[in-house]
Amino acid sequence: MAVATLLFVGIPEPLFAKRAHELGYAVLSVPDVNAIGSVDAPYDLMLIHGNLIRDSIDSIIERLYFLNNNVPIAVCIDAHERLDAQLSHAFREGTLDVLYYNELPSDLIFARIDKLFVFGLLDKNLRSLQENIREKETLRRELSIRSQLVDQERELNAHIIDSITSGMVILDMSGAILRINEAARRLLNFALSEYTGITYRSIFSKEMVVLIDRLFRAMQSKDLGEIHKVRLNETYLQVSGFGMLDSQQTSRGMILFIQDITEQENTAVQLYRTEKLATVGTMLSGIAHELRNPLSIISARVQRALGRKEWDREWMSKTLDSVEKQTQRCSSIVNNLLDFTRHSATALGYHKIGEVLDETLTYVEYQNIFDTISIIKEYGEGLEVFGDRSRFVQIFLNIITNAADAMAGRGSLTLSTAPYGQQYVLAQITDTGPGIPPEIQNRIFDPFFTTKDPGKGTGLGLAIVHKIVQESGGEVWLKSKSGSTAFFIKLPSTRERKA
Amino acid sequence: MNERILLVDDEEDLLEILSDFLGEKRYVVRCAHNGYEALEMLKDAAFHLVLSDINMPGMKGFELINEVARLYPSIKTALITAYDVRDYLQMARTYNIGNIIAKTAPFNFDEVALLIHNILTEEVFGLERYIQGEVISHSIKTSNEIEGVIDRIVEFMPEHRQKRKFRQALGEIIVNAVYYGAKNERGDRKSEWDFDVTLAPDEEVLVTWGKDDEKAGVAVRDQKGRLTKQQVLFWLERNSTKGGDGLSIGLFDEHGKGLYITRETIDRFIVNVKRQASTEVVMLMYREGLYDGFRPLWIHEF
Repeated sequence: MAVATLLFVGIPEPLFAKRAHELGYAVLSVPDVNAIGSVDAPYDLMLIHGNLIRDSIDSIIERLYFLNNNVPIAVCIDAHERLDAQLSHAFREGTLDVLYYNELPSDLIFARIDKLFVFGLLDKNLRSLQENIREKETLRRELSIRSQLVDQERELNAHIIDSITSGMVILDMSGAILRINEAARRLLNFALSEYTGITYRSIFSKEMVVLIDRLFRAMQSKDLGEIHKVRLNETYLQVSGFGMLDSQQTSRGMILFIQDITEQENTAVQLYRTEKLATVGTMLSGIAHELRNPLSIISARVQRALGRKEWDREWMSKTLDSVEKQTQRCSSIVNNLLDFTRHSATALGYHKIGEVLDETLTYVEYQNIFDTISIIKEYGEGLEVFGDRSRFVQIFLNIITNAADAMAGRGSLTLSTAPYGQQYVLAQITDTGPGIPPEIQNRIFDPFFTTKDPGKGTGLGLAIVHKIVQESGGEVWLKSKSGSTAFFIKLPSTRERKA
Repeated sequence: MNERILLVDDEEDLLEILSDFLGEKRYVVRCAHNGYEALEMLKDAAFHLVLSDINMPGMKGFELINEVARLYPSIKTALITAYDVRDYLQMARTYNIGNIIAKTAPFNFDEVALLIHNILTEEVFGLERYIQGEVISHSIKTSNEIEGVIDRIVEFMPEHRQKRKFRQALGEIIVNAVYYGAKNERGDRKSEWDFDVTLAPDEEVLVTWGKDDEKAGVAVRDQKGRLTKQQVLFWLERNSTKGGDGLSIGLFDEHGKGLYITRETIDRFIVNVKRQASTEVVMLMYREGLYDGFRPLWIHEF
């Protein structure tokens, strides 16, 4: 059995401490109540002289228990002393124990001390047990509150995710579907209610799998900015991916946003067609104008020949040569239009970029806006581009027309071409117009963005330029400042580069 | 004759044909292939007329004519183009150009010859210059003669799908000549015009009409010469310029539409003005389909 440590507070009997010591108790001793606080070592039982607590016993006891950290307290009194009312009340309540000095000689007092010590230990255990139980109870309650909160939050998240009209799919790094919202289920035709551990690869359509594979690859190179378009049967979806990062900035998965853009897409397709028609219209009008020149010459030559009385051989052959030359000119003008309207697959080939630019000019030069614009050509020698000639014409037609409009018919238009690395040719179209304000430069290729007056432009011209250049495997960009705007069109010069 | 003409065109064929043709008409013709060459040639030799193509590489026809007018104000000028003359009305007004020849197919040699003759000689008045055959005249003295004259002319004209429009245009021109030309009423107060107008004893509006193998024509002439080339060009431009709504900006103008409609409807719309002396509008209708296409700009003012 462990040996108790006793704290003597103001005990006047020196023999008591001595005897306790002899019996193996550890004894600490302080002279009065005020000194209790200075005792550092732990003790198991406090013995206090009765006189010290006589007055206002309740407050003192409270203070004692506070000071001694709930160690049991025994009040030592002489046997002849009567227990006063207060003390006996405390004794009956079990708040205090009472020891009699006269039991000291017989060591009986130590038997009582041992008993108090054991009870104290038991009591202490019990208390810590109770405390433990209380703690656990608090913990349990807290846990249940928290789990309720978590449930609520989870429910809220689910509501939020399901209420988003865009499709949303959350994948972990292995591609397993963590969450798929209502809109995404609808858009992707996803019927499973339980999908834990199922990856997109095993359940999504082929087109989506290819796209998501690409997004995962892009995520590794931190290049997720692009928005992708995918067609599922009759539906066009726009898909964008976002890396899901934890607080350590490690990738934990990917969030996909999916939008149904069928309607916009159908409208855009129609409008692109309209724009192509408009381009054809511009060209047709240019061609009609262009035909008048050779036709009037042919007519004039023939009339002159018919009006002549004698046909000498030399004169006649000069006239017929001219008629032949002008007829060929007519048919090449008509062929240009046919080339343009023919579909792209058949028209792929190598084209001298300077010739394509010159051809484009013939479609617009007759317009009076070009009368006072000086055109400067700086073509690199023998540069060829690979692709669809008519679409290249469409690119240049749009940019040149815009440039002329921007300059309002005053200034100069520079067309230059140069090699761009081994596999590209760069065409640059520079005007001396007012320039494009920086704040709209990045919107200028957006569909329906226009700075022209209502009815003057569809806002599709440059969007179409962008689309065609991309489809041709090239790039288009611009540099603009006050007094000068340059469009750069990078086009592949070899078949291999053409995507 | 023997006036000196400088032809400017980047089409070698056209230079050849026109210099050949005009040479036969006893003009002295020189050719330049572009504006710069033309200006060089003008330094060394005197010319009476510079006839230039509009759309050439480098210097455009309008710039050249502008430069010629600045350096040599006495030289007469005209432009020639295969493109739509309507597209050039604004430039024509800016540069005060009255004559733009249209390269038509079939090529209209007679017209080119006549126009050049008119520019050089300023002998422009009278339908006889424009029609080969006999002509009929009527001198209008009061406004109530107008309807009768129009009826007679329309009956005389050959069948043409544009006949109804022709009548309308004719009405516009004669009414304008009587009220606006002879009486000097203000065009913006048409609603206040007195319907019953009698001209002064020495005043008349002379209407002449006739036809030949190729065409029929009417000339309407007053004795005032109030109309100006700039006015005509202004109205033609206003009515041919489209606003943002796609409609011509002159659509709601009080006047000026008559001239434009006439020019659009009638194959040839010719305005001759001798300032303070006479204004003549000549309208020619070719046999259907003969010279379809673009119409020249044909305004003489001197």
